Amino acid sequence: MQLKRYLDLYTLLQQDRSSREERRAFGLSEAVRGKDAAEQLCAWAEAHRTSLSRPLLSEQVEGVLYHATLIFGIAAFLLGIVTATGLLSYSGKEPVNLVYFLAVAVLFPLVTMVLAVIAMFRANRARNFLVHISPAYWMTRIIGFFDRKGSLTFNTIPLNPLILNWIIIKRSQLLALLFAIGMLLALLGVVATRDIAFAWSTTLQIDAAQFHAFIEALAFPWRGWLPSAVPSLALVEQSHYFRLGGKLSETMVSHAAMLGAWWKFLAMATFVYAILLRFGMYLLAGWGLSRAIRRSMPALDGADVLLRDMNEPLITTHPDEKSVSSDMSQERLYTRMDAKMAPSYDTVVGWAIPEETLISLCDTFSVTAAACREAGGNRTLEEDSHTLETLRGTVLLFVKAWEPPTMDFADFLKAVSQRVSKVVVVPVGTPKEGYVADARHKAVWERKLALLDYPNVWMLR
Amino acid sequence: MNRTDYPRFAVVGHPNKGKSSIVASLAMDDAIAISDTPGTTTRKARYPLKVDGKTLYELIDTPGFQRARQVLAWLREHETDASRRHEVVRKFVNTHKDDARFHDEIELLEPIMQGAGIIYVVDGSKPYGEEYEAEMEILRWTGQPSMALINRIDEEDYTEDWKRALGGYFQMIRTYDPMHATLSQHLKILESMAQLREEWTPQVKASIALFERYHAMMRERSAAAIAKLLYRALSHVERLTLKEGEAVEDAKKRIASRYKQRLRSFEVETQKRIEYIWNHQHLKKQQEQIRLEGLDLFSKESASVFGLTRKELLVTGASSGAVTGAGIDLAFAGHTFFAGGIIGAVVGGVGAYMAFNELADIQVLGRKIGRRTLQMGPMQNRNFPYILLGRILFHTTKVAQLSHAVRQSVNFEMDERFRERWLTDARRKQLEKYHKQFRQAKRPDEKMLAEYEALILEIIDTLLGEA
Repeated sequence: MQLKRYLDLYTLLQQDRSSREERRAFGLSEAVRGKDAAEQLCAWAEAHRTSLSRPLLSEQVEGVLYHATLIFGIAAFLLGIVTATGLLSYSGKEPVNLVYFLAVAVLFPLVTMVLAVIAMFRANRARNFLVHISPAYWMTRIIGFFDRKGSLTFNTIPLNPLILNWIIIKRSQLLALLFAIGMLLALLGVVATRDIAFAWSTTLQIDAAQFHAFIEALAFPWRGWLPSAVPSLALVEQSHYFRLGGKLSETMVSHAAMLGAWWKFLAMATFVYAILLRFGMYLLAGWGLSRAIRRSMPALDGADVLLRDMNEPLITTHPDEKSVSSDMSQERLYTRMDAKMAPSYDTVVGWAIPEETLISLCDTFSVTAAACREAGGNRTLEEDSHTLETLRGTVLLFVKAWEPPTMDFADFLKAVSQRVSKVVVVPVGTPKEGYVADARHKAVWERKLALLDYPNVWMLR
Repeated sequence: MNRTDYPRFAVVGHPNKGKSSIVASLAMDDAIAISDTPGTTTRKARYPLKVDGKTLYELIDTPGFQRARQVLAWLREHETDASRRHEVVRKFVNTHKDDARFHDEIELLEPIMQGAGIIYVVDGSKPYGEEYEAEMEILRWTGQPSMALINRIDEEDYTEDWKRALGGYFQMIRTYDPMHATLSQHLKILESMAQLREEWTPQVKASIALFERYHAMMRERSAAAIAKLLYRALSHVERLTLKEGEAVEDAKKRIASRYKQRLRSFEVETQKRIEYIWNHQHLKKQQEQIRLEGLDLFSKESASVFGLTRKELLVTGASSGAVTGAGIDLAFAGHTFFAGGIIGAVVGGVGAYMAFNELADIQVLGRKIGRRTLQMGPMQNRNFPYILLGRILFHTTKVAQLSHAVRQSVNFEMDERFRERWLTDARRKQLEKYHKQFRQAKRPDEKMLAEYEALILEIIDTLLGEA
């Protein structure tokens, strides 16, 4: 899993405006079916890559990382050459103590590799001391310092500590690898161009047999197939050197040609411990980084919602097209309003109100009328026509306030308004309400009458 | 005649009896136009329940009857024999397709004549009237399976009168309050719809299971959003570069204000996300930001309603400190005589008690190219997570229980006893473990976040009565 994929996904999630329908459709496609979360996210990012605007964040980050690694890598390589050349510097007065070289080519890589392995186990910690002491960490800090004016700094790159730690661990292995290659090349170069007498010298009470056993153990990886690169006990004995007195032993001088044979061992030790093992560590770090990226993808902001949208069934209840409704929001005040009922009318009509209730209403409101008539309700249209024919003068029309005016009522009202001089519509409440209409219901009637705007029609306030 | 491979239900009735409210509630759609002005619905609108594009059933919102008596008169005039009444209704629909006078009747009868079941809606809080007979008679003529829903819009109750009147016309009669319906009431209505016709039963039953899953998904998504809010808010670090010549004290005020504003914005973002999850995008609120009756996130009132008491805070701090101290004891195999646990408890408890009103430290970071930077966060106040969590849980509970038929402005009423419903001592201990991690701004691993999310989901389920 590459960092580029992670950063592209991050950018896409930031700018994505896709609908749930689109996400679910993608979730059902062959591209993601049966895949794990990270693979699904990668597939989604791949499908939407075209919508990324340039310059890509991933390219910027990788560009910065590449250039920084290149500069630091060259520096590490040169440092390897300089270090090895320094360690192998030979004036001819004293042999080169190969213990120094072994310390840098074998011991130092082994110690740093152990630390790297510990750092790998602790990689998910934001404050990882072992990561912070790595040169690669300081490489990122230096990048951040020099790139302060630009938009890209390691503080602003959306990488979680897990990924950042693994990047540092991986880059550290690369720098160490280049350093070791530099050392090996320097060793070969120095050996090829100069004659060097190697010897071993240590304050520790180690005799030649013990040192030889140690050398044999170190040469374990290659002693079976490259015995010439494993120093013999005789060579080890002859190479033992004490600085006290400043004079070389006669035997050592007489076998000076043999002392150079150490170079094969040193070259193989550098190759195996500083290069081959380190390369293995580099591959391991690469695998760890890839795994960290894979693990971190679902934790990206917005990724959890995307994964849910892709994997959970899309249940919708919304219409395919927007529902059409008439705009009734405009308040239209009805102007023909009566403040109170007149004491008498020519006729009282009840719309869908039975006659006994109508009489009760007239009593309640102290209204007298020459006639009381029913209309609407379960009466036939013919019966309503007969009622209409009897109407004249002024009409009081009781309506149930809670039943909104229908067009059936509107038709009747229109016919009434054309026959009489004045018709007063009175919305009334239920018997439980004492026939007093609710203000909300009256407002509905008022709006409807304003909308109909029939002549001679009044409403009781 | 069924022209579709899924059941359809036309919601019909007198104008202004809550048809659209019922559709909004059953379809969980708060975008449906609902008004107390008759005639708001002028065209039928279809609300299909789809799963990954496949329709399981469809609700059809229709305009109310306007000229029912005239329609019935026409039908009676053209009736030949009782067994062919549905054909007369079809003839009416075909004859008056373009007749403006019967526009609303055609809109509501057309889907029924194409095979939709009938859901006839009446208002049970108002007395039954004879004017409904024409409507019910027309629906009976259609010969389609039918169900009456009694919706009590107001307080009064005429349900029994309505049941007697409706009994002669409809296969089944149910009561349903779209404004306060719970999920189980919603599902019961679907159960009834499933029984209207045998061949509809499997699909409607499948949709019941699906609605339950849908509800569970909404709860899970809410839990994820809340868990994310808590992590973001507690671990947030605000940085501010001092202006040229600016006094540190002024800058401290500025960063404190920005820090609080940032946390408020996290809360509002999550509230909007929760409303989106529960299909309440059109929620009308008194203010753009739900302030929970004007209680600001950082107000003392908010702390007293949603936060822990000083005593609870002392206990929480002490137990958290004791856990840390016990770790030290364990490391020394008990040779510390459990002093670690005791000291940890005292330090944690006193620290929590003393920092009751403090939010987070403000640090002045080092000079960089002549500039100084202030940093505030992550959140150190141990009470704050409970205040924030309480507020967002309160909001979530209200939104989850809010009917999709509500169109008026919403001002959630404060419930003083809300905290008691979810914050037990055991829960507080469980939560503190995660809050401590968030406060240290350490990125918790995915497993830990998933555990926290599961805990929040458990709380939501408790609050919504799903546990």
